[in-house]
Amino acid sequence: MLFSVLRILTYVLGIVGTSMLLPVAVAIREGEMSAVPAFLGPIVAGWAAAFTFWLKARGRPKDFDVRHAFGVVGGIWMAICLFGAMPLYFSGAFPSIVDAIFESVSGFTTTGASVCQDVESLPACINLWRCETHWLGGLGVIALAVALIPLLGVGGFRLIKAETTGPDKEKLTILISNTAKTLWAIYVAFTVAQTLILWKLGLSFTDALSHTFSTIGTGGFSTRNASVGAFGIPEVEWTCTAFMLVASVNFAIYYRIITGRLLEVRRDSELKTFVLIVVVAVLAVTAIQFNGLEALGDTFRASSFQVASILSTTGFMTQDYQTWRPAAQAVLLALFLIGGCSGSTAGGVKVVRWTVLAKQLRNELKRMLHPHEVFTLTLNGTPGREVIVPVVASFVFVYALLVLVTTFAGALAGLDVFTALTAALSMVGNIGPAFGSLGPTASFSEIAAPLKLYYAFAMLAGRLEIYTLLILAGRVFMPHRAQSGAERA
Amino acid sequence: MKIVVIGAGFTGMQLARELVAEKNDVVLIERDPEKVRHASDQLDCTVLEADGSNLESLEDAGLSSADALVTLTEDDELNMITCSLVDAVYPHIAKIARVRNYAYYLAADAARRRTKSARPDARPLYGIDTMLNPDVEAASAIVSAIEHGAVGNVIELGGGFGIAMLSVGVGSPLVGLTLREIASLEGWRYLVAFIDNGTDIALPNGDTKIMCGDSIGIVTPKSSIPDLLAFTKTPSGEFKRVVLFGADRVGTLLLATREARRAASPWRKLLGLVPKVPEREIVVVDMDASRCREIVERFPGVRALCGDVTDESLLAEEDLFASDLLVASSGNYELNLVTAAYMKSRGVKKVVALTANSSYGEIARKLGVDVAVPMRGSVVDAIMGHLRGRHVTSVHSVCNRRFEIVEGEIPPESKATCQSLRELSERNPGGPLVLLHRPPDEDVWCVPRGSTVLGTGSRVVLITRSGDVKSVARFFGRE
Repeated sequence: MLFSVLRILTYVLGIVGTSMLLPVAVAIREGEMSAVPAFLGPIVAGWAAAFTFWLKARGRPKDFDVRHAFGVVGGIWMAICLFGAMPLYFSGAFPSIVDAIFESVSGFTTTGASVCQDVESLPACINLWRCETHWLGGLGVIALAVALIPLLGVGGFRLIKAETTGPDKEKLTILISNTAKTLWAIYVAFTVAQTLILWKLGLSFTDALSHTFSTIGTGGFSTRNASVGAFGIPEVEWTCTAFMLVASVNFAIYYRIITGRLLEVRRDSELKTFVLIVVVAVLAVTAIQFNGLEALGDTFRASSFQVASILSTTGFMTQDYQTWRPAAQAVLLALFLIGGCSGSTAGGVKVVRWTVLAKQLRNELKRMLHPHEVFTLTLNGTPGREVIVPVVASFVFVYALLVLVTTFAGALAGLDVFTALTAALSMVGNIGPAFGSLGPTASFSEIAAPLKLYYAFAMLAGRLEIYTLLILAGRVFMPHRAQSGAERA
Repeated sequence: MKIVVIGAGFTGMQLARELVAEKNDVVLIERDPEKVRHASDQLDCTVLEADGSNLESLEDAGLSSADALVTLTEDDELNMITCSLVDAVYPHIAKIARVRNYAYYLAADAARRRTKSARPDARPLYGIDTMLNPDVEAASAIVSAIEHGAVGNVIELGGGFGIAMLSVGVGSPLVGLTLREIASLEGWRYLVAFIDNGTDIALPNGDTKIMCGDSIGIVTPKSSIPDLLAFTKTPSGEFKRVVLFGADRVGTLLLATREARRAASPWRKLLGLVPKVPEREIVVVDMDASRCREIVERFPGVRALCGDVTDESLLAEEDLFASDLLVASSGNYELNLVTAAYMKSRGVKKVVALTANSSYGEIARKLGVDVAVPMRGSVVDAIMGHLRGRHVTSVHSVCNRRFEIVEGEIPPESKATCQSLRELSERNPGGPLVLLHRPPDEDVWCVPRGSTVLGTGSRVVLITRSGDVKSVARFFGRE
């Protein structure tokens, strides 16, 4: 058992280590030779570990105890975050180890909250690595590992399920490795497309690549202090708006479009709700921010960008929304609660859960008027999905509980209540910026070190949709009860 | 003819009774000793206590000399396997099986049609010559009655014709007139096939008078039924709000028919190939929660209420009395009648009830139920049609089985050719009445005149008194 877990872990570390070659190449090109050893260390360590296990693993079965999937995924994610923090710490860019861990967790969980006040002073290779962590964490590192190497035997789908988001996970193809490969191919295609467009629009290649990583991973790290707004190019903003929305749609949708299963796409309840939310929110914010007809284009662009940025849980900015009219800020705050679609790189509660709850609410209201009538819950054109309601409801409950606890933690560390609440929503929802003293222009450098560590936990819990970490915590702190629970299940 | 019937349930008993009345040699086989005792008390035929699926016991019952085998047990699989078994040894015996499972029926029907087109000489599937599904037949009878305004049963005949059964009310212009007088009325383009006043067993002639309260069957092109209703001042209307009581097999089939039309492609709808679905709201009432759930999941847009239809508070709460149409199609036939009558009295415009057999027709009419569709009559009809000889394609019983409407083809040995219909009826007064005919090599059906001469190969629809086998045999010959 331990062997299987370690083998998966070392393979994942090997892959993440290999991906560090990209910042190394940038460092060599930009002449930042002092940062190279900080990357080479983890690369060599990752390779060595993976190679050792590859040697020992030959001929051994790939069987995997499905009961431990959640715990394993939680453990692997923690290990990767620590692994990814190594270059940040060893290069000296983040002198405090807590800051490096916070930054790395914020990267892999695609949150995008930074403890660095002046990112423009960081070496180019470090900035690229920060953005690349978004990209690696966005669709899931374990899915990436499965796509690249035949890693999992029986029960491997559980691992991917524990990592992807949403209440209702399906296999798109018969083989899980094919599902993972297809999704990653789509992911890479979007990345290439956006990079080329941004490059064409006048950004340097490194900037284009960094911002693409941040956008497609719906992370939010930027190489500029003023985020995407720093470029001042409207086309760049529109490109980012478009790709943020693209990345916060379930990637299975694109698979269905490619394979011609358009009927399923048209029936997708979550997609319909998502489009509706985007349209309503953009129109509302544009109307509230209306500043005369000649400025309408700019208002519309800024509104669309910020709505896409918050709803997709990216956290980019072109303007400081805290200077906007209060009603517009309230609309954005509402988007903090929603998040993107399941199966995307976005965080938050996910549109599908709110869709299910809204449908259930409608049924409950109708039941009051017609107590004898029998109702069904139709999701994606399939009736009889009532079973999903308790699953979703308990998730939303746990999510709200985690937000409240995180708010309390923030307040305990001295934040004002509004800042603490919005920061909690931002951390658990993997968004990045909050309101108040942790607004879009501020950094998280000022908060206390214990709170940074707690926030790192909250981000990870949000990314893995809470259950994963709750189960892991249960195993660590209450091994006996967790064990018997698993047996009962 | 010698006929072996397996299963002495309701339909088996009814069938045996009619077959015996026509002087056939009937052997009834039943496993349950209680039912055997009951059947031998009631019927003047051989009743054997035996296992119907056992070939030896069937042979003991005289199967080898039988002309037909009818399997009517409660078990679909047993019915099918028995036919298959008998077919292997006695392929010449006609086999008729009741198959209630709709999925079996559909699959077998599709397979049968495909083998028929590919290999016309192939044996039918499982050796079953006629497969009967009473639910499908009852459902299609209900659909056809509703489509034509739920004013009465509509019997579908060939060539777009039908027989609409109407009750003659106080305000009808037909009251007190003889058929000859009616025929001369301006705008009357129809033919009265039979008159049911509850007592007469004779077929009508020109001097028969129509009285208030009679039920009459009128031959008409189906497309002219609205004109006919307007002519006879029979109230009908669109059904916007429909209540369906009972979501068992027949109810589900009704909904499936509607769903198929609703889901038909917009092009076909535009071209008028599919009848329109005028109902805006359909409410299903059923006691069984899981059945309600199935309905809601299978038919989007249909509302299902889980409750007792006799529960006054449920009916009032959902305002079901304000509906345009109630279709009571549950498996509890008595409750269907009671519910339909009650709902009618509380203001529902039209009510249709599924009943156990055609003898309930009279009761239903007296209770104010607009249409009573008999459940099992159709099985007996189909079997009787089959036993009438190979030139008869279908038989419908009407007026509590007093009359039969027989459709078939005139064979060369027929005694009805070479003379006009007037001569035929003079020779055999009270004999069969030809309602429709289609000359050979033509596509159009028409109402014949007295001077019409039937030729070999014509197809005809005629009405006859039940049990008048001899007269029917004059038309269609006898094997």
